[in-house]
Order: sequence, then C-alpha cells, then structure tokens
Amino acid sequence: MSPTVSLQRASLRYGDILGLSPTTFELPEGGGITGLLGPNGAGKSTLIQLLSGLLPPSGGEVRIFGEAPFRNPQVLSRLGFVPEGDRFPTGLRGIPWLRMMGELSGLRGSGLQGAMERALSVVGMELNGRKPFSEMSKGMRQRMRLAQALLHNPEFLLLDEPFNGMDPEARLLLMDMLRSLATAGRRILVSSHILGEVAQLTDRILLLFRGRLLAEGSVAEIRELLDRHPVELRIGAESAQAVARWAVEHDELVALRMEEAGAVLAVRNPRSFLPKLQAAVLAGELPLLSLDPLDLNLDAVFQFLTKDHA
Amino acid sequence: MTALPTPARTIQALLRGYFPRLLQVRGWVCALIVVLPVALSFGLATILRLQQMNFGSAEILTVFHKVLAQLALPILVLVAAPAGIREDLEQRTLPLMLTRPAQAWLLPFGKGLLWFGWGGVWIVASVAGLGGLGAELASLPLMAAALLAAFWAELGFMTFLSLVFKRGTLWGALYLLIWDPLVRIFPGNLQRITFLHYIESIAGSRGSSVGTSQLLAQEQISTPWPLAILVFVLFGILCWAASGWKLQTTPIGLAGTEAEG
Repeated sequence: MSPTVSLQRASLRYGDILGLSPTTFELPEGGGITGLLGPNGAGKSTLIQLLSGLLPPSGGEVRIFGEAPFRNPQVLSRLGFVPEGDRFPTGLRGIPWLRMMGELSGLRGSGLQGAMERALSVVGMELNGRKPFSEMSKGMRQRMRLAQALLHNPEFLLLDEPFNGMDPEARLLLMDMLRSLATAGRRILVSSHILGEVAQLTDRILLLFRGRLLAEGSVAEIRELLDRHPVELRIGAESAQAVARWAVEHDELVALRMEEAGAVLAVRNPRSFLPKLQAAVLAGELPLLSLDPLDLNLDAVFQFLTKDHA
Repeated sequence: MTALPTPARTIQALLRGYFPRLLQVRGWVCALIVVLPVALSFGLATILRLQQMNFGSAEILTVFHKVLAQLALPILVLVAAPAGIREDLEQRTLPLMLTRPAQAWLLPFGKGLLWFGWGGVWIVASVAGLGGLGAELASLPLMAAALLAAFWAELGFMTFLSLVFKRGTLWGALYLLIWDPLVRIFPGNLQRITFLHYIESIAGSRGSSVGTSQLLAQEQISTPWPLAILVFVLFGILCWAASGWKLQTTPIGLAGTEAEG
C-alpha cells in the first residue's frame, strides 16, 4: 500500500534562499488529519506549494499517490487545495465561479450540479453563494475557497492557514467539517502557526522551523517538548515579595525578576505550575492582581526547541 | 475519481466562467475603443456634409488606417490582454486554477479566446460602420479580416509578453505604439516585422497618403493578402502556444509570480 504523501529529501530554493531544507516524511493512506505547525516564515507554505504541485522540488522527490504532482492532472484530480490569503476573482459571483472550477475538474451535468450543492452545503454557503465575491465577507470567501477544494471529492485535502481571519464560530464549524471529512476517509493536511488550533483538530503534527522539519509526532509528544520550554509569567500583586516567597518554593521556577508592581516568573511545565498558582490564589496565600503570559507565542517555543534539538 | 477535462471542455468552462467579465467596465471600454472612432466619424461626416464639404473614400481610408489600425487596435489589445491570464496572475487566483486537473497550457488561450471573440464582434461592427460612412462595400470584408487577424496575432503576442516579462504590457505598448508606426520609414524587409505592414497588405495600401512632406518615407512593400492573413494566423497560434508552454513549464507559487524553483 503506497502512502498518500511521500517526500524523500525534497527541498526548495528560491534563488539563493533555501525555502525548505531536504525533508523526508510520509503521510499514510486512508483518512486522518495532520497538522503542519510552524511560526510565520517556517516554510509551511513552501511545503504546501510542493505538495499541491504548484512548485517542483529543487532537489529530492515529492510523490502524491505515487506520482510527482507538478502540473500532473492525474494527481491534481485527487487533490483539493485551499491556499492561504484572501484571494478571489474580481468581478465574478461565487456560484458561477464554483461551476467553472468544477468543470475544470472534469465534472459536468448532473454530477457537477450535485457536487456544487454538496460542497455549498458542507461549507454553509447555499444562501450566500450567488453573491459577487466583492460583496462577501472574508469568512464567506474562505468558505467558497474551501467549497472549490471539496467539489471533486478529493482524497487528499491541503489547507494553508485556513483559520486566519475566521471568527470563532466559523472556526469551530470548519474544524467540525474537517473532522467529519477525515472520518469519511480523506487525508487532510492543515497548516497553522497556532498550536492550539492544530491540537483541537489532530493528534499528528509536523513541526517546521526555518525551512526544516524539526519534529514529527503526536500532540502529547509535542506538548512534552513545550513543557520543557520556560514560560514567562508576569504576576501583578500588592506585594512582589510575597509572590517571590511563594514562587521559590516550587521546582518549576527557573528564574525570578522583581518588578515594581509584581514579579516576572520563568517557569517550566506551566501545566503543573498554573494549577498550583490557582490553588494558592484561592487559598488566599497569594495577593494576585493580574496574570500575563509574556512569551507563550509559538515563535518563542520554536526558538527553544531549535536551541535544544539542533 | 472524475474523468479529466478534455481541452474542449476546459476552454468551454473558461469561456462560460469568465463571460460576465465582458459585460463589466473593461469589456465596455474595449467596445468603445473600436466603435467610438467610427461613431465620431459619423458625426464629423454629417457636419461636413451639412456644410457642403466632402467626406469621401480618402477620409474613410484615413479613419481605417490612421485611427482604427494604428491607434484603436493597439489600445484595444493593451486593454484586453491584461484581462486574460495576466489578471489571474496579478490577483493571485492562478494557483487555484493551476491546482485543478485541467491542462495548464490551455488556460492562456481559453481566457484569451473570450476577449478575442468580444473584441472581434466590435471590430466587425466598427468596420460595418465604415460601410455606413460610404466605404466601398467590396473593401469591407478585407478591412474586417485585416483587423480581426491582426487582433488575433497582437492579443496572442501581448499574452505571451505578459507571461514572460513582469512589465509585459509596457513592452507590448512600446512595440505596438512606437515600433509599429515606424513602418513608414523602415526600409524593405524590415517592414515585414510590423503588424501594420500586414494590415495594409490585407486591407489595401494607404501608400497614396504618403506625401512629399514625409522625408523619411520609404518605398512601401507589400505581401499578398492571403499570405498576410496566414502570417497573422500562424503568428497568433505560435504566441498562444508559447504562452501555454510558458505556463505549463513555469513554477508559479502562491504569490502569483514566477517562483525560482
């Protein structure tokens, strides 16, 4: 049984700049969601462009369903792609454009009509699909882009930062939709720079950083790596000394910095530290006024991981 | 798995999908570019005739050669060509089309054909208008054929330039508006690498309008009109094919520009 996706030392250069270092991984056949995680500029879109057949690799090999995808209709007929960014054809309406995309995928007649109705219903655009793109909201346009990717019932679905610019409700709807597609046997690759988003969707993650595949594993394994990353928390309190006295008693504390209106704590394993903090506040041991995580962004985590695992 | 779209179905899908674009501002501007000169000529002819002055075949030839062929047609091409595949490249929607199983090489031609058809309708209407002005009816088919064949070739040429160069429209404008009119002062065979030479060969020479004031004017050469039409048709096919080949082989990333893979 051949894997849906197979990369063998695939790399991509933009002139002198290395967009993706030689990368090797496989995504198995059958349904499931894989998250492609990395901070902005990590090479996620580069990898997605290789997988979607937009760009050929500069070195190595990319195989989708056992074939090179670049300008390969056989592969493209089994692949659906939602690019990042709010891109739409000016001067066209949603449904006629969707019909054209269906026809460009080889659909016609009642098959095309049925596919359009299904796709519009899946993305919840039955009512607004006739609008011109220029009159649709950003979220609606994103749904139309998703609809075009689903039209021809692809076995492999590629989504590049699909949650960007979506409101929380639309985000949850999209997640539900992707889960049900995966259950129905689709292999889905979703890129994001937000761990929380990906973690809600899937248990399998590819971590990219500076054009390099840094780690591949389950969310639990990645979380374990993240737990080792010291997180900085600014604790506002009536007495900074009280915070310091309480904090030094805990093993998770890595560093402490006193400030006028509180203290900044660097702690490892925030998942065990934060419940203790919460309990102390509830018990009245800690005169806490505010709590701000300072570096919980993914970029800081990746900096940590690369230092640790380079 | 659905069957792959045939070339005919791909072109049909593009024609139908992008048809609404014709009925928007750019489409009407295209129509106006070729129809307006003839409409204005009607007005001018009416005024002149009311004042007992002549608006005859010489003036009609001037409208055809100086205005329609030398000015309106290049402007039509410069307005229509960017609405072809270049538009998808610039608004970054081309990746959505390139990830469909349709053959990528057909996309420039499919979109270009739509604008060729639209421009062609208005060109024919405009030449018919020349008939209304009093042009010899026997000369109208060749006038229309000259402009249609030239439009086909020039649109293909501009599409190819827009895929090869970032500033393809600028290079095209320089060629059509600066180089081409120099045909009058080009010696011998150099005239053959202008569009105007072939238009004049098909629609009839305007050599009589070259006066003594044009000191640099060279002797006008001519190409038999069937051969001139063939040159236009073949050159157009070559340009559309080259555009298709360029799109088929060039990696185009999400940014919509050519990526250095």
